[in-house]
Formats: sequence, C-alpha cells, structure tokens
Amino acid sequence: MKITDACIYPYPSGDSSVRRMALEARSLGFDCLVAAGISSGNFYGIDVFNGVLLRDITLKDLVNRVRQVRDKNAVVSVQAGDNGFNRAVTGVNGISIMRGIQSADKTAFDHVTAKMAADNRVAVDIDLSPLISGRGVIRQRAIHRYRDILVLERRFEFPITLSSHARSVLEMRAVREISGLCSLLGMDTPEIEKAFAGVETISTPPDPAVRVV
Amino acid sequence: MTIRPPTLREKRRYILISVEPSGTIIDRKDLYHAVCDAITSLWGDVTAALIMPAVISSEGRYMIIRCRRGTERELSIALASITCCRENPIALRIVVASGTINTLRERIQRLQIPDTEPASPLEYMIGEKLFYVQYCSGQKVDLIEKGFKNTNRLFLTREDLEDM
Repeated sequence: MKITDACIYPYPSGDSSVRRMALEARSLGFDCLVAAGISSGNFYGIDVFNGVLLRDITLKDLVNRVRQVRDKNAVVSVQAGDNGFNRAVTGVNGISIMRGIQSADKTAFDHVTAKMAADNRVAVDIDLSPLISGRGVIRQRAIHRYRDILVLERRFEFPITLSSHARSVLEMRAVREISGLCSLLGMDTPEIEKAFAGVETISTPPDPAVRVV
Repeated sequence: MTIRPPTLREKRRYILISVEPSGTIIDRKDLYHAVCDAITSLWGDVTAALIMPAVISSEGRYMIIRCRRGTERELSIALASITCCRENPIALRIVVASGTINTLRERIQRLQIPDTEPASPLEYMIGEKLFYVQYCSGQKVDLIEKGFKNTNRLFLTREDLEDM
C-alpha cells in the first residue's frame, strides 16, 4: 500500500518547491504525492504524480481537456459542481478524482452518482484543509458533508482519497495526524488505510471480470 | 494546601513537539494560547478542561506540552489544527510522548542538530525579488525575502538552488 497525499500545490502556486515537499512528505510518513502542475517523477524516494485539476469548465470543454492530457501518470481531477454535472463527470473516461465536494451543493452527490463513481472507479476526495485550518461553521459543515459521503462510500464502495491541499511544507501533516483527523469523520483504521491507498486504487487497472485459464 | 502523595496525583503525559519553520521564536504563553484555542475550537470547553494542556518548557525549536494521561490523542489532533501563532505561520510536529520530562530532555539533547554550512551564494534573485538564505539543514534551505515587512519565505532544497 502506498500512502498518498492526493493534492499538494508546490511552487509557484505555493511557497515550497516540489523537492522540499517530497523531502517533508518522506519525514511525515508518505510514499507518494499528487502535485498540481508538476511533471511526474521521483524525488528523494517519493513518487510524485502530475496532478491536473480542472475547474469552472463545461462538460464539453472538460472532455476535450481530458483528451489533451498526454502524461500517462497524470491524475486528472475535477472540481465538483451540481448534481447533473457530477453524474456526467463520473461517466467521462480519464477522470480520476472528484474534488471540492464539501463546498458543492447539498444534493450534488447522491446515491446515483455514488453508484456511478463506484462503477467507473472515480474517487471522491476528502480535503482535510477545512479540518486543519477551518474554524467554526466551515469545519462543522465540512465534517457533516464528509460523514454524509462516507455513508454512501460504505454502501457503494467507491474509492476515497485524502488530500491536505498544502501550499507550503507548513500545511503538510503527518500520516498519524491525518489519521487522527479522519477519526473525527467516523472513519476506522481499515477505512483510513483504504483512503490513503485511494490514488493507487484508481491508478491500477481493475482485475478482469473473466480470466482465461 | 499540602502536596498530594504520588499515588493520589493525577497522571500526566508530556509531548515533545518541534516548531516549524526552524528559527521561529515563539513565546511559551503565545503557544499556550494557540493550543488552548485549537483544543477549545475542536473539542469544546469540557474536553479542554479534561486535557488540561500546559506548555512546560522550550529549548530551541523544541517544546514540551503537558496533558492528562489518556488525552494524548485529543491533544495531538488539536495540535494538528494549529497553523499560526500570533499571525506567524507555524506547524507543530509531534516527536514523541513520554511520562517524564527528563526522558524528553534527553531526547532533545540527541535531536539537536547544528545548522549546516549555508548554501553559497547567500542571496538569490527569484523573479524580481531578492531572497537571502535564512536556514540550512541537510538538504533543506529556507530563503526569506529581503525587506522590512510582509516578507515571504520560500522552502527549497540545495538542488533547487543549484538549478537556479
């Protein structure tokens, strides 16, 4: 199992270089990172995947942009929108992660979308930044939404990823601390381990339904 | 009030934390307020009263925080939610927890690493801004923008500086 932080923003989006973030991730217990706007590579023993984040975009443009992504190791993620958009997104080939579900509409992710996400192996991202830096209503709302998503995850078993959305090494958190934060959402240890391996789950091809012996 | 015998005293746990970024000087009282705010915000007053946090001592970048035995988990989660202290962005990294302060002091002695030779040159032009090397340890190099206020900090490695 590769413990992965599913979204970080290195320099120039943040104030830390990708190498420094990889160095910090190694000391914090991570094996893998998804870094926005950085070509894939290995830094100090940490696998760094290119993270492509698409937001504020129509479905037609989204399909075109996904086709243009040439990096095979790229992890393409989409900012969640309304319910119709999210359902359509889960059906688009090449989309790996749906992000920002905590700030989307209350009905943006329902049982139908959850079923489609499970069938098409589209992960739903749990952004831990509202739990780390948010206070009051922001944090309460995020916890509520994540708990709601986890109810659907237990029923339909779609992949979950965990991300710190760190723009600095100071915003990165250790694996143990993230596990503690996830326990606030009602996640038990196997669920947290599964979520840490979420990027590995979506990047490996599924076992074939029929195997010729 | 007489001091209670050891068997009647409350059991405590001591948590050793390191403060990032290196070179940040934090007052114990400021850190105590930041810890209390984080605990109260996350767990509420009742749990905060149970945890009874206190900042015991500080040695360089290391600090020792005390809590009641059995509340280490709550305290560590709350510490993860601290992002700044007196408007200075910081991160608190938990190093180890122990039942005695002496053990942690011994640990600090072993952990103290002197700053390595600074990368040369000491000043770098990034974009249109001038940065100078503020801290160096192993591969890590921290740059800070030259100026009086609103100075940005960059977290890089020696390899990054060589590539410039």
